[in-house]
Amino acid sequence: MSGTRPVVVAERPASGSPRPYAFPSFQRAWLDNGLGVLTVHLPGRPLVAASLVITSGAADEPDELAGTTVLMARALTEGTERYDAIQLVEAAERLGASLHAEAGWDSTSISADVPADRLPAMLKLIEEVLARPTFPATEVERLRDERLNDILQARADPRRRAEDAFVAAIYAPTSPYGRPVAGTAETVGRLDAATARAALGRRFDPARMTLIVGGDLTGIDVLELAAEWFGTWRADPDVAPARETDASPAASGPRVRVVHRPGSVQTEIRIGHPGVSRRIPDFHALSVMSTILGGLFNSRLNRKLREEKGYTYGASAGFDLRRAAGPFGARAAVNTEVTVPAVLDIVAELARIRSGVTDAELTEARDYLVGVFPLRFETAGAVVGALSGLVVQGLPDDELSRYRPAIQAVTMDDVLAAATEHVRPDDSRIVLVGDADEFMPALEAASLGSIEVEREAAPQPALKVADGDAA
Amino acid sequence: MRVPRIEFTDDRLANGLRLIVAEDHLAPVAAVNIWYAVGSKHEQPGRTGFAHLFEHVMFQGSAHVSKAEHIGLIQSVGGTMNGTTWLDRTNYFETVPSHRLELALWLEADRMGTLLEALNQENLDNQREVVKNEKRWSYDNRPYGSWNERLLGGVFPPEHPYHHPTIGSMADLDAATIDDLQAFFRTHYAPNNAVLSVVGDVDRAQVRRWVERYFGRIPANPALPVDLGDLSLPATLGRELRDVVMDSVPLPRIYWGFRAPVFGDARLDALDLAGQILAGGKGSRLDRRLVREERLAQDVAMFSLGLVGGASITAGWATARPGVDLVRLEAVFWEELSRLATDSPSADELERAKALTEADELGALQRVEERADRLSMYATLFDDPDLANRMLPRYLAVTAEQIRGVCAEVFREDNRLVLTYLPAEQTAGDAEVAA
Repeated sequence: MSGTRPVVVAERPASGSPRPYAFPSFQRAWLDNGLGVLTVHLPGRPLVAASLVITSGAADEPDELAGTTVLMARALTEGTERYDAIQLVEAAERLGASLHAEAGWDSTSISADVPADRLPAMLKLIEEVLARPTFPATEVERLRDERLNDILQARADPRRRAEDAFVAAIYAPTSPYGRPVAGTAETVGRLDAATARAALGRRFDPARMTLIVGGDLTGIDVLELAAEWFGTWRADPDVAPARETDASPAASGPRVRVVHRPGSVQTEIRIGHPGVSRRIPDFHALSVMSTILGGLFNSRLNRKLREEKGYTYGASAGFDLRRAAGPFGARAAVNTEVTVPAVLDIVAELARIRSGVTDAELTEARDYLVGVFPLRFETAGAVVGALSGLVVQGLPDDELSRYRPAIQAVTMDDVLAAATEHVRPDDSRIVLVGDADEFMPALEAASLGSIEVEREAAPQPALKVADGDAA
Repeated sequence: MRVPRIEFTDDRLANGLRLIVAEDHLAPVAAVNIWYAVGSKHEQPGRTGFAHLFEHVMFQGSAHVSKAEHIGLIQSVGGTMNGTTWLDRTNYFETVPSHRLELALWLEADRMGTLLEALNQENLDNQREVVKNEKRWSYDNRPYGSWNERLLGGVFPPEHPYHHPTIGSMADLDAATIDDLQAFFRTHYAPNNAVLSVVGDVDRAQVRRWVERYFGRIPANPALPVDLGDLSLPATLGRELRDVVMDSVPLPRIYWGFRAPVFGDARLDALDLAGQILAGGKGSRLDRRLVREERLAQDVAMFSLGLVGGASITAGWATARPGVDLVRLEAVFWEELSRLATDSPSADELERAKALTEADELGALQRVEERADRLSMYATLFDDPDLANRMLPRYLAVTAEQIRGVCAEVFREDNRLVLTYLPAEQTAGDAEVAA
């Protein structure tokens, strides 16, 4: 182009004035039996999200029956006193909804998104599922076998294999966090309808439950509906006190664990250690620090490994914040030949963040977290999800409304303190899933510490379908 | 309940850039979405993977924006962004707090107008390595990872541009030069080959002024549109195609691929509902019979990928439970597809499929980002952005007989590709695979 004006003006547009934003206000009440009810009115959101949350999950289950909570949640919708599994699905579908029952480490929940006028019918269905499940033996066995097959699939998938090997490497054998949330082949093999029923009974206590409903609730009295459907619930006689979660780090074991996968064209890298609980006092500083280290696209890890070196499609790091100390890990999948240089780069970045960050990095991370906050809550489901997090983690009611000022107030010193306290490269374990034959000499030469290599035959199908299984 | 209508304006700048704006002031959020009418189908033989590589290069800087700064600026205002490449198109999008909309528009304009001023060998080499790692991650180092490439390769003949997947050939990427990329940009990345949609907490007159200011001087490419020739295909494959793939997987899996009516054809709407009836959740036919009752499969799927050039692809799979007779698994899966081609679905089944489709639409369209993407899509592919409002009524109008009819056309033995993945330890001779 000729002329003085460029094709696109060089001057960057200035900011307009932001519209005020506040996290939607919500009401909290309790039924006489102790069941909590959180409602949040969101005008103009006709698709209502409803979730009944029990603040007890897979961290609170007997070790020898690991996976029982997740299996119980999956089996909840397999039949009730009034409906079989198919009738339940069809009843929900006629409401234009699907019921999702699931369990994580800290909670068990049953949720649905439903048009506002169908909320009463959906709450009735949730009541039926949670109060009168029948756990049909043959369906629970099917779900158990599906989980056993899924474990086989996970061993063959480099990403899942790396995650499983990573948590096993960083936690003590006594910690539930060292195993997959849905259990291991050994423990899942023990599960059946009776263990599913017991898993529900041990946590069926209205005082541990909260109904959370969000959306355009004009003309709907959620508290009255909750009292109608859940008000008569009483605690199960088998309710057990919640177990304290053991999140101890591994005391022994090699620094570097290699899972040999012959022929892998990439190495899945995981480097880290047990992290922290969600309820730490410096949560906001930790969030800013971890955003700079491995959260943003322009985080230190992604900039180095992807945009400078081209080693990977993406590198990241973060804390999995649970009630107890969930894992902290850096992650990348790199082409096999650069495995060791990539590991050294990641370890170097974990060390470097402990010497502080720049003004520009601090500003970018804070502005991102503050600015993206309203974008996260565009739908009723997202608002209900955030409130569910408050309830499950036991956080104060003003946690979400004070999030943005608290992030904005994080200083360089706060970030430095969070990094030195919570990122500990010397305590890190390194897990590599890839073709060990291609990188072992370089790995040994790198002097990262003791190395253990797991070499095994490729996975074999372990289960047979019994003849009697087919209908 | 009704899905709210999207009210929008639709006009063009003098240089051909199509601008669609829809106001919604519920949340202080604005979505920007650009579709360029260039996808992997526009790639020349020996130049596959260019459209996707280009999507990466678009984040490497332009005249007034340095490498990776586009993403940095959007994230530092609390926005999110990405780009995606598909057979028919490439798109780029940002969702930002509404008071930073102008920044997002300027960033899109700067790379549409001035990308070549920043393109250099170092960035090309870097992103080529990133893309190779994307291929390793998404295809090569993933169980069953080659299914997509194999299905496209079978359902579309070698001379058809849908024959190769968007990731392309690594040899072609290695051969790519700066000159090739410049030529690709000059051809396709022009305002008259793009649709820009802006949805959310915005003022349409203000948006129009900003778009005029930032995009208005970018020259059109007079040589557009690119002529791809006749992409039409026979309605069916004409014969059955079968293949067996040895992979490092613990459980066998059978994939099916079918040639199907093009995107936009009402028969594809009916086929989408057929997918819902066959494999949409626990109450669906395949799930009930294969997973729940006969316990032959660990999981099942059935879906269509809508394409505008000659034919779409309908695909499905079933993962075998250990020790299952694969001949039986395949036969029962086929029986269920054939049943829907013979007998219409029941009124109740159809109603449930429609109720779920309606709920999915309602859920998806809550987000301004999704609305912007739909408006750009329907404008780009059909010159008809209002299809964003008319697609749901179209789904709700489908009859049981139309579903049976399209299943009879598509689920034919001479129109199926059957791809069986076997654990690499087994040899094809050991496993029971239908001949």
